[in-house]
Order: sequence, then structure tokens, then C-alpha cells
Amino acid sequence: MSDTADTIAETRGNRVSARARRASRREGHGAAPYLQAAPMALVFLVFFLLPLAATIVVSFWQYTQYSIEPAFTAQNYGEVFGGCLARLPDLCTTFETYLSTLKFGVIVWACTLTLGFTVAYFLAFHVRSLKVQVIFFLLCTIPFWTSIVIRMISWIPLLGRNGLVNQALISMGVTDTPLEWLLYSDFAVVLALTHLYTLFMVVPIFNSLMRIDRSLIEAARDAGASDLQTLTAVIIPLARPGILIGSIFVLTVVLGDFLTIGIMGGQQIASVGKIIQTQMQFLQFPLAAANAVILLVAVLAGVWALLKLVDIRKEL
Amino acid sequence: MTRPTGRSGPTRRAVLKGGAAMAGAAAFPAPFVHAQDPVTLRYLSTAVNQSPAIAEKASEELGINIEYIAVNTDEVARRVITQPNSFDLVDTEYFALPNLVPSGNMKGMDAKRIDRIGDLASVIASGTVEGEAVGWDGTAPHEVLYLGDQTATSFAGEPTDWITLIPTTYNADTLGIRPDLIDKDITSWASLLDPDFAGKSAILNIPSIGIMDAAMALEARGDISYGDKGNMTREEIDFTIEKLIEAKRDGQFRAFWSNFQESVNLMASGEVVIQSMWSPAVTAVRTQGIPCIYQPLDEGYRAWASGFGLPRTIDGRKEDAAYEFINWFLSGWAGAHLSKQGYYPAVLETAKEYMEPYEWAYWYEGEAAEEDIYAPDGRLLEEAGAVRDGGSYAERMGSVACWNAVMDENEYMVRKWNEFIAA
Amino acid sequence: MRETRPRSFYVLASVFALFLLFLYGPMMAILVLSFQGPEGGLVFPMNGVSFHWFEKLREGGGQVEIGPALRRSFRLALLVMVLTVTFSVLAGLAFRRGFRGATLLLYVAIASLIVPSIVVSLGIALEFRLIDDAIKSLGMAWGIEWIQRDFVSALGPFTSGLGAHLTWTLPFGLLIMFAVFNRFDPAYEEAARDLGATPWQTFRHVTLPMIAPFLIGVAVFGFTLSWDELARSSQVMGADNTLPMQLAAKTTTVTDPEIYALGTATTASSILLVLVAFTIATLLQRRRQRG
Repeated sequence: MSDTADTIAETRGNRVSARARRASRREGHGAAPYLQAAPMALVFLVFFLLPLAATIVVSFWQYTQYSIEPAFTAQNYGEVFGGCLARLPDLCTTFETYLSTLKFGVIVWACTLTLGFTVAYFLAFHVRSLKVQVIFFLLCTIPFWTSIVIRMISWIPLLGRNGLVNQALISMGVTDTPLEWLLYSDFAVVLALTHLYTLFMVVPIFNSLMRIDRSLIEAARDAGASDLQTLTAVIIPLARPGILIGSIFVLTVVLGDFLTIGIMGGQQIASVGKIIQTQMQFLQFPLAAANAVILLVAVLAGVWALLKLVDIRKEL
Repeated sequence: MTRPTGRSGPTRRAVLKGGAAMAGAAAFPAPFVHAQDPVTLRYLSTAVNQSPAIAEKASEELGINIEYIAVNTDEVARRVITQPNSFDLVDTEYFALPNLVPSGNMKGMDAKRIDRIGDLASVIASGTVEGEAVGWDGTAPHEVLYLGDQTATSFAGEPTDWITLIPTTYNADTLGIRPDLIDKDITSWASLLDPDFAGKSAILNIPSIGIMDAAMALEARGDISYGDKGNMTREEIDFTIEKLIEAKRDGQFRAFWSNFQESVNLMASGEVVIQSMWSPAVTAVRTQGIPCIYQPLDEGYRAWASGFGLPRTIDGRKEDAAYEFINWFLSGWAGAHLSKQGYYPAVLETAKEYMEPYEWAYWYEGEAAEEDIYAPDGRLLEEAGAVRDGGSYAERMGSVACWNAVMDENEYMVRKWNEFIAA
Repeated sequence: MRETRPRSFYVLASVFALFLLFLYGPMMAILVLSFQGPEGGLVFPMNGVSFHWFEKLREGGGQVEIGPALRRSFRLALLVMVLTVTFSVLAGLAFRRGFRGATLLLYVAIASLIVPSIVVSLGIALEFRLIDDAIKSLGMAWGIEWIQRDFVSALGPFTSGLGAHLTWTLPFGLLIMFAVFNRFDPAYEEAARDLGATPWQTFRHVTLPMIAPFLIGVAVFGFTLSWDELARSSQVMGADNTLPMQLAAKTTTVTDPEIYALGTATTASSILLVLVAFTIATLLQRRRQRG
């Protein structure tokens, strides 16, 4: 195994020196990266940062039943955490909701990671032609070209009491009465979220796997590593950036979800997104904004910690 | 002066029509031609009232183009708040008004420009049916119908010349049930919380209305007596939510429905056998060949009404066209069109003129249908001999107990509702 | 397929097959129910079997029209796709070289995924309302006639809508580019430069061909995320609904299995298109190889 590690280290060493050379040579083109990053930066500035800034401002505004008034008040934030300290050790609504959301985040992350990594591994190492890889990838994407509105409705005839799955289970004799927990349950939420977001794992992990020099794997095998050892000592470490990127996708999107958790949970399962949605429903924008800001800070802190573990930009 | 090439160019039909109208006016200078372009009204609402047939008819009779912007219920309210310049006419529910009017984005409608203002259904105008007051719990339309002046941001206590919304449709909701899956008589809202239906009942997912469904059930069960179900005190909210949490822990509710179709799907699929429902939604389940009853109950109905409003930004020809369209809307054809889908229109007399006597008798008089009853799009709704659930107009609207509402303690209610969801 | 496959291949291939089955699960229900009888609904039981809803779909019209929204969404998704790929590749290059503010841009992109879409949508709508007011007062101040008479709003699918969608697709594009450029060997590019290639030539003839296959993923993500976007679109499209918005609006009244027919038609034609495109590609490739 140490051979493998050496090889990797060596390869990296070469790259680092190449990078240093490159960097020194390129000092003349200082403006280029700025120009290249500009279009994306501009889009985010106009369509995200400015609206977000407005949102943050609004989160400090005063909200009464009949009006929204500019003011500088932390009342909305106080409201979000209302009674949280007093109630300890019982959890207040906000903490309970965050916990529930986090629970789904972690479960869905584990499901999508396991499934996504397996699928990406299959596509990268067992499907050898690019063309077939693309066909398979497109086949995975096509279900998502049917609008989410239609797909969400179709979960009832699939998982409901008289749905396809229950009909199949009953006819196979697995169960006598329809399984109730297939729909409008924690299970249904996890299932639907996994369905939606596994591809978000597959794509970055696949890209990472494709970047792995096949000779490294052969070297590991030659050194006597078992398949499992190759996987854990060579492939997974080298796929780490892809795994991390996929994890960021899944976690951020699931933690802000309201649509899927709402519909699949029969509107009876709490999530931060749903609280925000309910407040928006009644036009309580300052409260919704405060909740969104808290969610942003909490999740961003989590992502920051993840990026400390693996710097996805280190090996660009 | 050249004709501007606006983004929303006139449709071919309109050009042809306009062309015909101006055949004799070709000698007039260009500005006059411009003034004769057909007006397009952007009509924002849920899809309920956005029948293509109505737009077509309006274009035919008025030369006004109706461009529908169909969105969901929440979205209607949000757009009124954030972008009043993105529509020219909004059709929204009265219960949303306490949230919309204070924004100053709505413009009071001049009653003097509404031809049939005096003929509006009394249940909307004064909260009465055939002279008898109905239940006014919640946001009863007559309480939020008038503004002090055109730009007022609060409601007037008594009738004025400035109207918030001119009614389009209204109806009364009650429990819908699946008689084939329920083997007892349902006579009360209390059945919503009946343990026999655990895991098979549903309420509305709009918290301020869902809580009223629950309140109807709790009051019917004798747990509590509310001062005003649509405007609860904090104590009443606390109590109701507590009971809801109990019911949730016992697995009473299968799901909450958020839109028309969801309520139909829940019922038709058998996921739910008892839930609060719209009358046309019950009809929609039945047309699929699935038994479903709109069940009148001892405690009465939870009613709702929606109506046309104008955005603050409208003026000039668009405003004139909006009044013209609204006046046409109240003149009968549209009212009959909506009646035949199971909704009630603002002006009953004019709608009657556009309906066959047997249709009127079925939809309004509570009599057995002499002939098959068809929807305007040709779907068979009921066969001859059927009697409308809930009976006549007077029986239905006369038994209204409360109206869809936004409470004074709305913010507190939403907080408690989130607690209920998190429990 | 000439060499024998290891056992792990068959295990993984079955996992993949099951994954596909899982992905197509809801499609099964959609497929079956799109053949509902004329009186049937969106859920089981079936009420007869017919092509009724496909015919209705072909005819168009109906309570909430799908056609225009579908075409609009398609155009928007294509544009979003092109811009997502372009901006992401450019930004990816910039990140490789490094620039001041790189960390900030990365965190902004991630933040754009976190903030719930309904909030972003509302923010953009409020921003455009200010822009509208500004344009109008400019029109007044400078006496620009068409603004005074015809200007309504800058909101629209290809202004605010496009921007909103990009805030959703670009974070995915950028981060996937990180995976694509991960341990990307700079030796090739340096060789090209050493041979005297300009930066553009290096990119065009060396870097791009190497990353091109992986851009398919970014492109498909860009297209799909835009095509299927609902919450972020809700406030920013002005008077023109996208397809998901139009379908969501449809559910506020009687909705027929026509939407399932739409789902079945979309899926079937997409699969067909993919297969045909690849058959043609294969044939062309063979012909080229032969002669």
C-alpha cells in the first residue's frame, strides 16, 4: 500500500512544482481570471446578493398584522427563538424544526451518497465507452423532464393505499392489507428526496472518479491490495472532492426544502423551509426573512466546516 | 407618429376585429388608430375562474383581450404585495383582504361605475340570505367590502362608494365523504375527529382555514364554544392547537390538502374518506365514477368568496376596460357559465337569464334535474333525476356558519400552527 | 465486452438497473394513468382505457393552456443551459488560476443554494419593482415617449426569470467544474504554451477537448434544473408563466390526466430522441472509420 501512497505523493509533488512554475510564468496575465469570473460574479451580484441584502434589511423591519414598517428591530429574531431558553430541556418549535430538518438532511445524505457513489462507480469503472456513459446518464435524467408538479401528484397512485406498489405487494402475498407508511410518512419524504437528489451525488463523484489515473489502481492491485483495500485506500480518498461537492449539493438543497417534505409528509412534517413558506403565505415577510437568514448562517457554517475537512479547490 | 411595437402585440383575431371596426375610419390620423387598439387586461388569479370560454366571449362582445395569469392561492396574494404592476385585474379571496389592503397596492373601485352594484347577492353585500343574517364568524365579505375612500388602507364600517372586491364566485364548503367507505351517518363536523376515521381524514393546509375546520369539529364535539371561530383569542388558539396536536399524535389526519386537485385526488384514491371540500371538487370526484357526497351538517357551512380587485397602478384606458369587463362579467353570461360548474355568481338574476330553466332549478332551487346536467365543457356532471347536495341556494348559503378568515391574532396563530406541525 | 467481466460488474450493474427502476417508479404510475378513460382521474382506480388524454393534449386549449408555457420554458431552459456551461467553464478557469475574492465567490454560490428559493424569488421581485420605478421616472425626466406610454415592467422570463434561474444553476455548474478540473494535469496546457500557443489556442485546442465530455453533465444539469424550477420562478416571471408554474396553477381547479399524457409523451419522445441521436452518432462514426 505504501507504494500507492508514494506514487500519489510523487504525482502530487510534480504537480505542485508545475503549479509553481505556472504561477510564476503567468504573472503578466493578472486580469484574465477576473474577467473569467466576472460573468458569474455579476449574475450573483444582481440576482442574489442584492435581493439577499434586501431580505436581510427586511428581516430587521417591524412587522405588525397590518403593515410592514422600516425599523431596526431584532424582534423577528427574538420571535424565532421565542421561549427556547425558558423551555429547556424541552425543545422549542424552532429547535425541534431544525432537528427534524437536520434529521432528513443526514438520512438523505447517507442514502444519496451510498447509492450515488455506487452508481457513479459503475458508470466510471465498468462502463467503458463514453457514449454508453452519456446514454446511461441521460436515461437517469429523463424522468426529471416530466415536471415536478406532475411527479409529485404521481406519488399517490404509486405509493398510496391503492397504488401500484401496494397492489404488487398484495398480489405477491407479501402483505394482506395495504401498507400505510409508504405515503405521507418520514419514509415517503426520504424516498422522494433520495429520488430527487441522488443524481446530484452521481455527477460530481463520477467526474472525480474519471479523473483518477487508472495506473494508480493497477499499481494498488499489483501491490497486492484487495478490491476493498483499493476502494478505501485509493479510490475513495481520490474521489473525496466529488463526494464533498455532491454532499454540499444534497445537504444545502434538502435543508431548505419545503415542497417535497410538505407534500410527501402530508403537510404534517416540520422543516425550516416549510416554516418560511407558511410565513410567506401570510405575507409575514420580516419573519420569513429572519428565518431565512438564520438558516443561511447555520448551513453556511456547516459547509464551511466541511470545506475545512476537504478543500475542494486545492487540487484544481 | 409611428405605432409602437409593444411587447404584447395584438392578437391576430383582435387585429382582424379592430380592422373591421375601423374600416370606415381609415381617413383619420394615426393617433386615433392607436387609441382604437384593443386593450389587453392581465387577469391574475387561480385557475378556478379563468375559463377560456369567458375570455373568448369577452373578446367577442367587448373587444377586450383577457390574458390570464394563473397562479396558486398564495401566489396571488404575494404578487399583489410585490408587483402590483404585473397585472391589471386580480381575482382574489375576501379573506386575504386584511393582508392586502393595508399594503396600499389595491385601488378602491368606484361603485358608481358598477352598473349592477345594487344587485349584488345579499349574502356578500350584507351577510344575509332572504333577509336573514347568516353566520358572520371569520372574514365575512360584507365586513371588508368597503373602503373609506379610493386609496384608504383600512376598511369602512358602513357602505361607501369605494369597493374592495366585486364578487366573482363564492360557495360554501362542508365535509365531503366517501359513502362506500363509511358506514355511519355523518351529520356533524365532529366526525372529522372521529377516531373511526383515524388516518383517513384531512383538513385544509391554509393554516387560518385549516384551524377553522378543526374549530368547527371541536365546537360540534362540545369541547369548546368559540366567540368567533374566524377570529380566535390566544386562549382559543392555544386550546385548538393543543387538540390538533392530540389528534395528530393519534394519527387522525392522513394529509392536509393545499389545492383543489389535491382534495380531489385524496378523496378519489381513498387515501382520505372524510375531509372539508369544495362543492365542485366533490362533483369532480363523482364524475370519475367514484361515490362522493357533499354532506350538509348540523353546524352549517364554512363559506368563501372571491372577487375582482384593481391594482393601485391601473389608470386610463386599462382602467376603463377593467370596469367594462367587470360590468360585462356581472351581466349574466359569465355568471351562468360559473354556475354550471357549481359556483355561485355575484348577481343571481342575470345568471338566471342565461341558464335553461331546468338548469336553474337544479343548481339553485334544489329540485331534481329534469334533464342530464352538463358542465360548460361538455362533461356529464349528473344524470336526470339527481338533486344537488345541500339543496337550494337559500339552504346552502343560508346555513353558512363562518367565513374563510385571517385572524387578528394571525401571527400568533401561525406560530402555534408551526408548533403543531413540529409536534 | 470481449473480456470476461468481474463479479462486481454484475452486482453493480444490477444496482444500477434497480436505480433506474427507482427513478422511473413515478413514471410508471404516470404511464399507466395517462391511458385513463375519458371519465378517469389522476389516481387509481382506472376508469376505462383510452387515448383520450393524448388527443386532448394534441388539441391543446383547455382551462389552463400548456402549449405556450411549454415552449417558453424550453427556450428559457436552453438559454440557461448555454449560459450555465459558459459561465461555469470561465469561472472554473478563473478558480484554477486563483484570484482575489475566489473564496467569497465560492461561498456566495453555495449560499445561493441554501437560501430558500421562495425568498430569493421575492427578493428579485422587489428589486425589479425598484428598477421599474427607476425606469419610469427616467422616462418622465427625459421625456422618453415609449417608456411613458408602453413600459410596464422589466420583469419577465428572459430578464428577471433568467437571472433567477442562473442563481440556481450556476452553483451546480461551478462546483461540478471543480470536480472536472480536479487533478487536471496542467502539463498538456504547458506543452501547448511552450510550443507557442496563445492562451485562447491552448484553451480551444487543448483544454476544451479534454473537458468537453464532462461538460455534458453541466449542460444537462443546467437544462433540467431550469426546466423543472418552480419556487424560484414563482415571483419573477411577470405575466408569463413557465411550464411548472402553469401546471401548478392548473391544480387549483379540475385537472385531468392530460398532464400525465404530457409526462408520458415527454418521456417517450426524450428516450426516442436519445436513442436516435446515438444511433446516428454511431453510424457516422463507423462510416468515418471505414473510409
